[in-house]
Amino acid sequence: MLFFSKWKITLILGALLLGFFFALPNALPSETRAKMPGMFQRTINLGLDLQGGAHMLLEVDLTSVISQALENERDTIRDGFREADRLRTETIRVDNENDAVIVRLRDAADSDKAFELLRGMSKAVDPQSLSNDKTTKVEKLSAKDFRVTITEANIADIQKRTIAQSMNVLRRRIDPQGTTEMTIAPEGDDRILLQIPGAKNVDDIKSVINKTANLAFHMVRKESNNEAAMELARREGSLSKVPPGAAYFPEEEGGGLIVERRTKITGECLKTSSEGLHPEGNYPIVNFTFNIRCARLFGELTQKNIGQRFAVVLDDVIITAPRINGAITGGSGFIEGSFTLESARELSLLLNAGALPAKLVIVEERTVGPGLGQDSINAGKIASIIGLAGVGLFMWLSYGLRFGTIANIALATNIILIAGALSLMGATLTLPGIAGIILTIGMAVDANVLIFERIREEAHLGRPPVNAIETGYRRSLAPILDANITTLIAAVTLYFVGSGPVRGFAVTLAIGIIMSVFTAVVVARLITATWLRRKRPKSLPI
Amino acid sequence: MKDISLVKFFPMEPKVPFLSIRTLAALLSTIAIIASLALFSVRGLNYGIDFTGGTVIEIDTGTTPDLAKIRTVVADAGFPGASVQGIAPDASSTLDHDYVRIGIPLQPETEETGAQAQQIAMKATQDALVANIDGFDGPEDIRSQEAVGSAVSGELRTKGALAVGLALLMVLAYIWFRFEWQFGMGAVIALFHDVILTIGVFSLTQIEFNLSIIAAILTIVGYSLNDTVIVYDRIRENLRKYKKMPLPEVLNLSINDTLSRTILTSFTTLLALFALYTLGGSGLRGFSFAMIWGVFVGTYSSIFVASPLLLMLKLKRGVNTGNAEKAEARLT
Repeated sequence: MLFFSKWKITLILGALLLGFFFALPNALPSETRAKMPGMFQRTINLGLDLQGGAHMLLEVDLTSVISQALENERDTIRDGFREADRLRTETIRVDNENDAVIVRLRDAADSDKAFELLRGMSKAVDPQSLSNDKTTKVEKLSAKDFRVTITEANIADIQKRTIAQSMNVLRRRIDPQGTTEMTIAPEGDDRILLQIPGAKNVDDIKSVINKTANLAFHMVRKESNNEAAMELARREGSLSKVPPGAAYFPEEEGGGLIVERRTKITGECLKTSSEGLHPEGNYPIVNFTFNIRCARLFGELTQKNIGQRFAVVLDDVIITAPRINGAITGGSGFIEGSFTLESARELSLLLNAGALPAKLVIVEERTVGPGLGQDSINAGKIASIIGLAGVGLFMWLSYGLRFGTIANIALATNIILIAGALSLMGATLTLPGIAGIILTIGMAVDANVLIFERIREEAHLGRPPVNAIETGYRRSLAPILDANITTLIAAVTLYFVGSGPVRGFAVTLAIGIIMSVFTAVVVARLITATWLRRKRPKSLPI
Repeated sequence: MKDISLVKFFPMEPKVPFLSIRTLAALLSTIAIIASLALFSVRGLNYGIDFTGGTVIEIDTGTTPDLAKIRTVVADAGFPGASVQGIAPDASSTLDHDYVRIGIPLQPETEETGAQAQQIAMKATQDALVANIDGFDGPEDIRSQEAVGSAVSGELRTKGALAVGLALLMVLAYIWFRFEWQFGMGAVIALFHDVILTIGVFSLTQIEFNLSIIAAILTIVGYSLNDTVIVYDRIRENLRKYKKMPLPEVLNLSINDTLSRTILTSFTTLLALFALYTLGGSGLRGFSFAMIWGVFVGTYSSIFVASPLLLMLKLKRGVNTGNAEKAEARLT
């Protein structure tokens, strides 16, 4: 146990040196750090609870995306039957419970033809992939009835794309310049984790998360918006009772309009948008430019409908519904509503970032202001220093200068190695993580205590110093490993089951356990062996 | 070199008759466990928002806060069940006056509000405070804000219980693999003892029970086991060394052999924990309290629960069954 070959010593010293170098950047001012080679620039990241910032867990409303997909499928089927020759349907309706569209034919004789038609509409989920997953599955319920179900593969694909797209839109909205260090990551099946360090105004962030920013231009139905129709709708108690193919949206200013449900001019048409002032009225507006395809579409639409009104609908609310005075062919225009400069800026930001494919709900939020974070860091620092000093002093008192120093060198090395490992891994130090380190300070000396007590015992049994130390190290190895592996099991469990800051605790605890075994069993043993070889003591100062 | 190692004051071979008071210890532990379970079922735990859901906002009003007024404002905003308390800042804090902690219970998630209910409550409270409390101007005066919906708090509850259960199970498996089954059982019963007593003390004191306490309990599990394994290891060694010695004496000898280590390690760990408790800031006080308690209970249970259990579980001497050879073979 006490003999170390040359290469072993080199390896141990090399590992220590590397640990020291990885830990070093944490102690350097940032200007000096910038001059170091890239590998040694890494420092320990402070968690949001220490540096301040916002942590949010957002839930993506996937059910609405699926029902939207079903409505699209229904429209596709309706168009398909309309274009097909002599194929008449009685009803085509969405069955949300079963993720399906139900088709009923008028004539049972068309059964085979309709079946072929429906099957032809099913496409490959991912044309690039080798799997043969189709978007829909067609079942014949009876000669006249068919069920078109969206396949699980398709639903999974829709969900995956919705999450990915939501994350992209969020990034563009919160960080349009791409300068903030923030984390956006999927969590579970339907959630997104958002972490923004140092966020000053969480309310601003929340307001851009809460808006879907679904923009669409709908033609207003002239014939439907007469007094009689509105009166009927009011009497029926629900304004959603609208003619087929139409939709009712409330107006921002009160009231509402019945418009064409389908439109081709949506938020995807927008190339850019920016806030501005009305050229005459000098009040805030939002300017926009369409892409080429939509500019042409919009030009044709306005050409055909001069004198009619169209409604600009944002998130199911009509912002404005101007009358078309002439064909708009330039592909650009502006939206005027009751904007303030601030809300115009926000809307143009949202429009530039694109619409969220689904509504996002904040299901968990933890925000820490910079004041509290700094307080926590200060308290953690003081507690660590006092704890470290107390334990160090106690080791000297207990084991005397010689062995106390060995234990304390091991302890100091341990702390430095923990810092080095955390820096290298890019791990995040959280408030519970600080607790983990301080706890490690207390527990780290355990391995050394075990060894020293064993050495004392062996010496007491009459073994000469070298023999006692040798035996002490050998006999304490198994209990040290057993004891620490069990603690490690607890830490690893905590890591996999825990979340957020608790994970930070598990990481520091686990690293602390591994490093404390290494420093006690390897580093301290090397020091002891070197001392024995040089001094060849006749008795043990322990 | 002059030396002053205090350790020399420890008797080299302490002969404390730990095992002779095992009946008393068993009685004490049983009473404590029953009391803990009774407390837990009657009084319950003071769960934090991690597990109940709801909203907690900590604000700084610039001066010593007028708690009565804040209470009225929050109640008038629609949250009469809210808790409002002033908290003294830590010694190392930049604040020189109390700050305020406002806790709003979980708001029902109706069709109208959905999972957003907690966010709506938080906004309403803040708006009311900005309008009515001088010195609170919104985001810049918020020290922290947390809102947890019912779905997430439910998940955290399940995960927390799962973590503790899973850790106990894996530890049982490891000890089983390394020792005889009696050791595995003994260790896990001792751990249950520690976990139950920790929950009991949290029920008694009504200190907030949150995610970091789960972390503390798992660490206590690790620490207590550490202690138990050290003693068990020595028992196994002494069983082989003194084949003729009666079991209770072997157990007592092993506990005494490892006594100085047990005391020293507990002492240094407590030293660090007391530093954390007194100086580590309010955020870690619950955690360090749990750990301090855990070190005491864990040390007690390794000596008075885990070891006597080996007697009760009728640990067989290797001589008769050949288990010692097996154990030795496993060890080497």
